[in-house]
Amino acid sequence: MNAMTKIRMAAFAATVLTPFAAAAQDVELTYLTHWAPDTVKLLEEAASAYSEQNPGVAISVRAVPFGDLLTTIRSGGSGDGPTIASIYDLWLPELVRDGLVAPAPDAVSGEVTSEWPEGIAAAAAVDGQVYGIPNEINVYALNYNKAMFEEAGISAPPKTWAELQDAAAKLSTDGKQGFGLINSWAAGVVHPFASLLASNGGALIADGKPQLDSQKALETFELYETMIKEGYTDPAMGTSDANTTGPFLDNFVSGNTGMIIMANWWESALRAGMGDDFANIGTAPIPVGPSGDTARSISYSWMTVVNAGAEDAEQAAAWDFLQWLDGPDSGENGASAMAGILQSMGILPSRTSDVAAFEEALGRPFLEGYVSSLENARAFPVVLGGQEFSDALQQVIEQLEYGQISAQEAQQNAQADAESILERAQR
Amino acid sequence: MVSPAVALIGVFIFVPMVLTIWLSFHQWSTQTGFEAARFVGLRNYEDILGPISVGRDFKRAFLNTAIYTALSVVAILPLSVIFGLLVYQSRVAGGQFLRTILFSTYMVPMIAVALVWSKLYSPSEGPLNQILFWVGIGPQSWLSSPDTALYSIVILNVWQQVGYFTVLAIAGLTQIPSSLHEAARIDGANPVQEFFGVTLPLLRRTLLFSAVIAVINAVQVFEPVALITQGGPANSTNVLTFHIRRVGIERAQGGLGSAMAVMLMLSLIVVIVLIFSLARQKEERA
Repeated sequence: MNAMTKIRMAAFAATVLTPFAAAAQDVELTYLTHWAPDTVKLLEEAASAYSEQNPGVAISVRAVPFGDLLTTIRSGGSGDGPTIASIYDLWLPELVRDGLVAPAPDAVSGEVTSEWPEGIAAAAAVDGQVYGIPNEINVYALNYNKAMFEEAGISAPPKTWAELQDAAAKLSTDGKQGFGLINSWAAGVVHPFASLLASNGGALIADGKPQLDSQKALETFELYETMIKEGYTDPAMGTSDANTTGPFLDNFVSGNTGMIIMANWWESALRAGMGDDFANIGTAPIPVGPSGDTARSISYSWMTVVNAGAEDAEQAAAWDFLQWLDGPDSGENGASAMAGILQSMGILPSRTSDVAAFEEALGRPFLEGYVSSLENARAFPVVLGGQEFSDALQQVIEQLEYGQISAQEAQQNAQADAESILERAQR
Repeated sequence: MVSPAVALIGVFIFVPMVLTIWLSFHQWSTQTGFEAARFVGLRNYEDILGPISVGRDFKRAFLNTAIYTALSVVAILPLSVIFGLLVYQSRVAGGQFLRTILFSTYMVPMIAVALVWSKLYSPSEGPLNQILFWVGIGPQSWLSSPDTALYSIVILNVWQQVGYFTVLAIAGLTQIPSSLHEAARIDGANPVQEFFGVTLPLLRRTLLFSAVIAVINAVQVFEPVALITQGGPANSTNVLTFHIRRVGIERAQGGLGSAMAVMLMLSLIVVIVLIFSLARQKEERA
């Protein structure tokens, strides 16, 4: 073998073997989220910190509007899709059924079970198998504008539906609406409705069966009907866009809406939009309905999952990164880096040690009302067909909001739709 | 032996169409292989034509698409001829400039159009309502009301597409021999008679092509709905392509989505055939 042949063979070997050598050391992960640019920047900083400790792992963050998140996860479901995705717990059963998300390794599964409250850990599992690491929990409460209340001579936030209607009547003057309802965004429509229903002693689904044919549900539909008919709410002021912002937010920020039922996560949007006037915003429990006994609400959680189509090395690296990101060593004062990111948006972290680490911050006036609502909050039902159920109920509520159907028709349609959707999802 | 061109057409056009029709008779999650599809007969069609939410949403999306298409075509075609006549007249000052302005709207990316128009339509601070206020008209709800949202999207579509169809109209106008116009004028025809007696009949083929393209474009509307309204409020802007995406991809109900796509395809074929038959009848009468 002459020297030239040896060089050619060496070059050939280098060309063929280099990719394998590189693959064994370097892993590139992509993290799909719907967060805003400022929050994405914080996540990128956390990812960079992890990559410094783990030089073989590179992590890039990709953000899409909330309205496109599920579609992006589904259309990128193969190995070419994002390695890690942030998902709403309602989506998990169907993503598991379709084999899109990987089961968590035992170490991760054990940590989720032991370090998170039972209900939140359960929402990250299907048939007992953990598929994601929970991060945020959101709960609904009544936000009200204290300056508008003072101007209208209302001394305290409403505790009952009767007081809610009374306050809404007093606040609905000069083109302003007393009570804001959201439309064109499923969760923005359905979650406040479900919160009022819960505070009236009812539920959307119980034991896998829809409960919208109850008297409690009818009373909730009738409350909406009254609010519309009396002019206490103006649907045209409640439109949302694909980024879950838009007129409903603008009108509350600019003092055109007196009260609205929303989740804690919008604190950052309110702060950004209101500046110093944010101090005018108060948080109170959901008013109690005529059939309810105490103020209740609904909650839902988010989690991060790993693409089942990713390579084994990518999955292993993804779980390791997520365990670090959601673990007590990545943030400050025993909190996780994820909790710090969530708190920047006003979102409640769910890991027990994170809640303890942020105890003082969670006591600030705006969040205090949400944290206290958690005690009596029911988890939004996570079932197969849940997203379709939510979409269908949204349409019925919006038809009611725009006066296209009566409360009785809304109730009948909502129950019939729900029965059909849940039955079809089980086929 | 099948020629390469026929084979290519078969692979890229007929196979997906046949596959969609086949899937429409199956229950199938878009996240699984075709082998997982389970035959359900006509059940998907029963569901999308039935009274429950699946059916209600589909029928509403179908109706919205039909209204959107009809209004778009009815607005775009006459406007394109009017604008075409305006800029075709060489004596009109600024004709070339107007032609450039008209066509430029077609070249603006939809995301930019969506951003700008969603602000233009804002009920509280939008410039459109301010302009209406100056001329004594009260504020309109535009995208915020189910009564006006679809029409607002149609206006946006007409604004963006009319330039392209104006260019087509101009191309048609250049094909009309000037001697015919001169002959009409010598015979004493006034401009209106000249338009209806010479210009419009000789533009028929161009308008037929424009109508077919305008219908296909309108039926495929997706971006303004996805970017601005998400189908709302109260399903008033939910059009078929957006709805099929929601059902077929977001909910992974591939069988139902395929049944909807088949219905859309069949309707489109019927409309296009109708347009051609109407045009042929008129040609035969002429």
